[in-house]
This record gives sequence, structure tokens and C-alpha cells, in this order.
Amino acid sequence: MFDPSLTRGEKISVSLTFIVTGLVLLFLITPILAIIPLSFTADSILSYPIENWSLRWYRVLIENPVWAGVTRNSLIIAFAATICATILGTLASIGLNSRYCPKPGVITAFLLTPMIVPVIITGVASYFFYSKFGLTNSYAGMIIAHTILGIPFVVITVSATLQGFDMNQQRAAYSLGARPFYAFRTVIMPQISPGVISGALFAFVTSFDEVIVALFIAGTEQYTLPRQMFSGIRENLDPTIAAVATVMIVVSLTVLALAQYVSARAEAKRSS
Amino acid sequence: MTSDQNFLEFINIQKTYDGENLVIKELNLSIARGEFVTLLGPSGSGKSTALMLLAGFEPPTSGTIRLNGATLNSVAPYDRNIGMVFQNYALFPHMTVLENIAYPLRVRKVGKAEAAERAQKALDMVQLGQFGDRYPKQLSGGQQQRIAVARALVFDPALVLMDEPLGALDKKLREEMQVEIKHLHENLGLTVVFVTHDQDEALTMSDRIAVFNDGRIQQIDKPITLYEKPANQFVAEFIGETNMLEGTVAASDAQTTRIQLACGASVQATTVEPIATGARARLSVRPERMTINPSSDGGNLLPASLVETIYHGANAMMVFRLPSGETLTAQLRAGNPFLDMTPGTAANLTFNLMDARSFACA
Amino acid sequence: MASEQVVSTPMPHAESKPGRNLKQELRRAGRRHQRSTLLLILPVFALVFAFFALPIAGLLTGAVNSPEYQQNFPRSAAIIEQEGGFNEAFYAALYADIRAADEARAVGKVGRRLNQDTAGFSTMLKKAARKSRKTVPAEGEHKAWFKSVDKRWVDARYQAALTRAAPAYTDFFLLKSLDLKRNADGDLTLVDEKKRLFVDVFLRTLTISFGVTVLCCLLGYPLAWTMVQASPKWRNVLLLGVLFPFWTSLLVRTAAWVIVLQKEGPINTLLVSSGLVDAPLTLVFNRFGVFVALTHILLPFLVLPLYSVMKTIPKDYMRAAKSLGARPVYAFFTAYFPQTLPGLSAGAILVFIMSIGYYITPALLGGPKDQMISYFIAFYTNNTINWGLASALALNLLIVTLVLYALYQRITGGNRVSLGA
Repeated sequence: MFDPSLTRGEKISVSLTFIVTGLVLLFLITPILAIIPLSFTADSILSYPIENWSLRWYRVLIENPVWAGVTRNSLIIAFAATICATILGTLASIGLNSRYCPKPGVITAFLLTPMIVPVIITGVASYFFYSKFGLTNSYAGMIIAHTILGIPFVVITVSATLQGFDMNQQRAAYSLGARPFYAFRTVIMPQISPGVISGALFAFVTSFDEVIVALFIAGTEQYTLPRQMFSGIRENLDPTIAAVATVMIVVSLTVLALAQYVSARAEAKRSS
Repeated sequence: MTSDQNFLEFINIQKTYDGENLVIKELNLSIARGEFVTLLGPSGSGKSTALMLLAGFEPPTSGTIRLNGATLNSVAPYDRNIGMVFQNYALFPHMTVLENIAYPLRVRKVGKAEAAERAQKALDMVQLGQFGDRYPKQLSGGQQQRIAVARALVFDPALVLMDEPLGALDKKLREEMQVEIKHLHENLGLTVVFVTHDQDEALTMSDRIAVFNDGRIQQIDKPITLYEKPANQFVAEFIGETNMLEGTVAASDAQTTRIQLACGASVQATTVEPIATGARARLSVRPERMTINPSSDGGNLLPASLVETIYHGANAMMVFRLPSGETLTAQLRAGNPFLDMTPGTAANLTFNLMDARSFACA
Repeated sequence: MASEQVVSTPMPHAESKPGRNLKQELRRAGRRHQRSTLLLILPVFALVFAFFALPIAGLLTGAVNSPEYQQNFPRSAAIIEQEGGFNEAFYAALYADIRAADEARAVGKVGRRLNQDTAGFSTMLKKAARKSRKTVPAEGEHKAWFKSVDKRWVDARYQAALTRAAPAYTDFFLLKSLDLKRNADGDLTLVDEKKRLFVDVFLRTLTISFGVTVLCCLLGYPLAWTMVQASPKWRNVLLLGVLFPFWTSLLVRTAAWVIVLQKEGPINTLLVSSGLVDAPLTLVFNRFGVFVALTHILLPFLVLPLYSVMKTIPKDYMRAAKSLGARPVYAFFTAYFPQTLPGLSAGAILVFIMSIGYYITPALLGGPKDQMISYFIAFYTNNTINWGLASALALNLLIVTLVLYALYQRITGGNRVSLGA
């Protein structure tokens, strides 16, 4: 376990570091996991120990049309924003990584600003601006805003894969007779797809988890899951929130697993 | 006016990337059908750029490239029907070996069965018939190289380009592949333009070699001519090893040039181009054409003393110092009794008029 | 043979410098390539420009825009702009303005704007509008009429407020966002002590962010270090431990902390039942809750860049330092730690940037005294509709963020530090 050359003092400090790491990990994970059992309580208060178990809060969740509605909204908006951000972001990354692109650094920095500017500013600015064009209280407004928030992630991940991509492959495809679009489809796209997929996952999670812009520009018709949770936490923190949280934890674990799978597969392809 | 002699032509080609510096200053070159021509030169000499122009990845800044009588300038790379083997092979990592080779056939909408058959045949040709289902990453460098060759040949291109294809291989494998590519060239009657910076490779494989330097062809000739009769100092030094000695021209006519060397000796060399009397000139003699302590005085005599002897197995290099301080190497076969000379020993070095060439100092 | 001929014909520009037409040609070809490249970028660029950059620019101009008075009270505004003074002509114009605005139902807008500057204006204006419907002052009696409606109309303090509100552009909101104002003479002064707020909020935002950054560094450094030292299997476990909260919804994490830290929550249950405390502690809806939750949420943003830098540092450095005679602690701080600084500072700035702009967590987990600048931007947008002030606060926040981001770019050298996944 220890490097044999370590002194006793070092072994003690290394052990202490491991212990601290363990505690930090507990700090990172337990609060999230602690919410799960509470969703299975039969009582209506959120506290341990749980005496009676039941699925009643999940029933509330399913039967209450509000939650179904906001879930549907979240999915519609997140999927639409992900598709837009992924397509547009991928195209832009290809342009940005071309050697003919003028000032790629400046353009990239500009496209990444939605990630840097505090979301509260984006939210307020969108509220003022979108309201002039009737985009507040509309799905279109939400999708546009979330697309913009997702674009930086797609640009970052796709650019990263493109930088690792050997542009000679494109030339090789041309020399073998492939026209540009055919070469893109058969040679470039399959190889940058891990970057595109992880960019899409980031964009999806960004939209699915976004609440501040929703606070400002979504009407009740467009309330998303996080927006509804925000109200729930603020006004009436009951076990339904724990149930929703549990569902969302499962969703995020799935997305995480997907992301890990994609990067592991890309890694395996690179090194096999 | 198409002829097999002018199958491929570069006519007054110039190329600049930045609008400031010409990477290719002037290129005129004709290649015959079925010929194996190597573009040889140091990096930055313009040889790879010439290949890029030919493949269509870069447009020439001015001039015309013609293949089989047709101008190539405005033809897109994918319409040129030119096979290319890339330096790093550029095999598609997400496709199997067979898919890689079938790719140009797929592009050309060749039927599935026929494409598979032709790809397999190409794979057999490079002796990797059983590796069709592997991915490129699972193969060794030499195997990948052969796949790249098979892929560039499978669609019967009019011309095959090879951009330092053997650069990444170790010495032994490289030599094997040189022979193999040469055989493919002969057996299939391919026209090949091969780029390398390795002169041994160029000498081994080529019908003709174009030596590039500073954006121009310095000399284009058969390997033997290039070695024996270099047209200028650059070629003499770039191809093989040579001794260069400086001096002043005493007399120069169409056949011989007499040079008064810095070391004091006066020697005669074959004239490459007549040089004005009194001008600075250089004398070039290959180390293996040097003789030590001759029985008869051939006229070109250089007194020197031995500095050291370096063994290379089959032969050895003896380094001598001339009175002027210049050093001179002589290459001797192993077993030659002169190799036992101790450093410091004085010796007379001679060479034949035919083996010495004179170049004007730039 | 044509080819023979060409070989011997030298090019006009055969020497090393290309000619002018050649350069033009090259530039033209370059532009053609550039155009097709830009075509790929254009859609995203246009989208981000139109729906992100323009709105933000609009918001920021809101910090100096003050169109309400000038648009609705044009006659009196013109007199103020010409420095005509508060004479009879001014009050006559003001009366005409109020009449017109009352007809157009725009008096409320102007009142709100004036009230943001000096309280009481809204009532004064409404009263004047009401009275104006019934009485028409005689020629030359306008000033007296206003005085009779409310004598504050002729008070210098209120006249100064009108002077400030009349131009189309104002520094009023920007000054107010820094707790400054102009007095009647137009000099900068601090606002009354009771009304000072924003400098406090700013300092509070910076203090909380700084505290969170320090906490993240202290907790994240050992974690990242262990990740690098661990066997591949453990490394993956640790990495998942960091990525799991990173991918978990922000709202879920915030809800989790509310539940865990509340009076009836598991931590208090544990503390009380173990006898460590007599009564449950207040752990949430105060500064403590904000610190804990923000640290929890932002920790991955420190760990991941730090880990990606630490991963590239060979282990030989510590050994080399020791072989050169350095004791372990000295070796760590001289040979190892300085090499991790790029990762640590990149992560720390990232955490700081994100934390100064945080809204959700303080809003849900903090008390009224723990709200950060974002809260006030939202508050002035939604609750009091003081958009000028909201814009001014947003401008301040944006400037700080962009300065820090520039710093971040310098530290990472433009290379985006990997965020795992």
C-alpha cells in the first residue's frame, strides 16, 4: 500500500490524507443519498428515523397532473435544446478547427460566454429582451435560451475531439475518391461522435437542470421540473420533493453511466 | 500530344502559402508512364509540397499540372483518381482492414460482392490475406503500411503517390518494404511518385530521382548518374558521402579543371562547368575513390597524416589531416593492410581524375 | 514538343518573391475558403449574438437608460435640459406634461422612476394629476398652483431629483449600486447610512465566495491527490464519487441539504440523540447552510481541473527532491506543490467565478442576511420593478466575472481544463 521508501511521518500524513479523502467523499455523496429513503416514508414529514414505509409519495407524484406536466415540459425543452445545440455546436466546432477560420480564439471565446456569464444575468437579460418579441411564456423562448446555454459544452467537447483527429484522414478519404460530405459522414463523423455525444449529454443535463432562466421567462404553462421543485422547496417541502429528487438522481446516474460508457469506449478505441 | 513519355507533367509550377515566400520557386518535370520517380530532398525543400499539389490538397499558385494530357489544376482531389499512401498511413481507425481497403470501391459504387473480392485480392497481394477483420490499431506498423499501399492501389489509380511511407518503420522492415514496393511497381506497371528524405531509399527504388533543394529541382537523373556525376555541390554532398576541398582555379577547359588547393597541392578534376581562372572552386571526391600510398604517381597527390581509423564492419573510414588543417576521409575494404596504420603516420592520398569533380564556389 | 519548350522558359517571377497579382490571387482563394468556413459558424454565431449578446447589451444599457421622464414629460424635460431653471415657464410645461400623461395613463411610470430617486414623488405626482383634472391654473400662476398642491414641488431637493431624471441617460443607478448619489450640487456623496446596502452586499458576496473557494481548496486538494495516488480501480471509484454529485441536479442537491440540515433532519437527530447538544441547532437558512451547500456544489469544479493537472506530474519529482536531501514536507512544498498550482488556481478561480454569480442555493438555503448580489438583481427585476438598478447591479457583477475569467484564461493559457466525463 505504501511506497517502502516513505518515512514514518510520511506514512502517517499519507494515511491522514486518505482519511480526509474518505470524509470528503462522504460529504459529497451521503446528503444526496440521504434523500432517497425519505421518499419511501409513509409520514408526511421529512425526518429520520422512518417508521412506516410506503410508496404513497410516488403515487402522489404520478397522480398529480402538475408533476406529469412539468416533467413533459422538461423533456420537450431539453430534447429540443439538445438537438439544436448539438447540431449547431458541432458545425461551428468544425468551422472553428479549420485552418481557414479567421480568429478562432476570439470566436470561441464569444461562443463560450453563455457558460461564463452568471445565469442570473442571462435570465434577467432574456426576460427583458424576449418579452419584446413575445418569447416569454413560450416554449420557443425556453428552447432558444437553453440551446444557447448548451452550445458552449458542445463546442468544448467536439473541439477537443477534433483537435485529436488526424486531418490526413480527410485527405486520405478525398484521395480515395470520397466527396466532402461523404467523407464527413463516413470518416470524420464516426470518429468525432464520442465528443458529439458527450457534448449532447452535457447540453441535455444543462437544460434539464436549468432553473434560473426558467424562473424569468417560463410561464406556468412551460414550468419545468426544476422550476416546480424550486417552488416546492421554497413553499412546501414535503416527501413528494424527495420522491422527485429520487427520480432525478436515477436519471442523473443513468446519464453519468452513459457518459462514462461513451468515454470508456472512445478510450478503448484509441488504445486497442 | 499525349505520350507515354509525358504522362505526368509539372509545367512552370510555383507555390506560396503566405504570399511572401515561394515554397516551390520553379518546377518543371515530366514523368513517363510506368516510371518510378522519387522526389528527394531535405525537409522544406518543396518535395512534399509538390506531392500536395499533385494530389490536389493544395492549388498551385501558378503553372499547370497535366496528367495523361488533361490539366489537373481545377480537378478536385476526389476526382483525380490518384492513389496516395500517407506518411502516417491515415488508415481509418473505426473501420476494419477490409473496410478500409474497400472504401474507395464503396465510394465508386462498386457492387458489394465485387468490392469484397477486389479488396481481398488487394489484401492478398500485400500478403495480409488473413487480417481482413482486424482493426488497423491491432496491426504492427509494417502491416499498417501494407494496408495503406493496398488501399491506394485497389481502385487501379492512374498514378500512385507515396509521401515518406516508410519513415516510421525500423531499418530492417524499411528495407524489406522497399523491395516489396519496387516489386509491386514492376509487376503492376504502376506509375509512382515517391517522396523521401532518405537517399538510400531513393537510390534503391527509383528509376529516376529528382533532387530538391530550396524550392527547385537541382538535378533529375538515374540513381547511378546522380551518384557518379552530380551536377552541383548540393547534389554531390546530399547523395552519398564526399570530400570537399577548397582551392583556386588554375586552368579550366571543357574536360578538366586544374585547381590549386589550400593545402598546397595542385590537382586535376573533371569539369562540370568551366570556371574562370583565379576563381574559388571546390573539389569533390568520394571517400571510396581515395587510394593510399600508390605505387605509381597518378598526378593527383595529397600528402597527409592519419588522425584516426573508424571501423564499420565490412569497411572502414580513415580520417586524414592535410597540411591546411582540412580533413579528408578514405574508405577502405576490411582486410586492407593500410588499416593497421597508427595515427600520426604520414601517407600520400591519390585519386583518379575521373572520380574528382570541380564546382564553382557559390 | 511543347514540353521541351516550357522547360526552358523561365517564369517571370521565378525568383523568390511572388508578384503582386499572385498575392491577390492567393488572398482571393483564402477568402473563398474563409467564407465557407464562416458559413459553418454563422448559425451559432447569429443565435448567440441575437439571443444572448444583444439581450445582455440591452440589459447593460438599462443601467444608464432613463427614458421614462423624457418620453412622457417632454416639455418640462426640454426646459431642464436647457437649464432654464425652475421658473414659471417650467411649471407651466410641467402642468401640460402632467395633463398629457394623465390622458395617456403614463403618470404612474414617471412616478415610479422619480420615486426610485426620491421617495414621495409617486404620491405627489398622482395628487397633482388628480387635481389637474379639476383646476386649470391661470396664466403665470402655475408655480403657485404646484406649491398649493404640495409644497415639495418647489423644494430644492425634489427639484434636484427632477433634474437628475430628465436626461435620457443617467448615472443614477450605477451610483446607487455603489451606495453613491449626487447631492443637490451634483457632487458625489455616500447615501445616508441607513440606506447603504449594496457595498455591503458586494462585500458579502465576495466574502462568501472567498470562503467557499478556500473550503473547496482545503477539501479538494487531498481528494485530488488521493485520486492520483490510488490504484486504477480506486481512482475510478473516487472519480465516480466526484462525478456523481457533479451530474446530479442542482435542485436535488439543494433540496438534499435543506432536508439534511433542517431542525428535524438527520444531522440534528444524530446530534441530539448522541447527547452532544441539548436542542437542535439551526444549520440551514443561515450563512452556515449557504457555505455547506455551495462548497458541496462547487467542489467538483475544483477537483476535476486539479486532478487533470496532478495526473501529469511524474512521481519522480518527490523522489528527486528527497535524493537531493530535502525532508518530506520541504520536498512536498518545493518540488510537488508548485507544479499543482496551475490546476489549483484554475479550479479556484472557476469556483470563485461560479460562486459570486450563484442564485439558487443562497436563495433557498440562506436567510435574508445571506443573500448575494444575484438575489438583489432578481429582486429589483421581479419585486420592485426597478430595472435600472437591477441592470446596474448586473453590470457590476458582469465586470467582476469577466475580469476573473480573463485571469482564468491567462492561467490556463487558453487551454480549457478538462471537466472529466
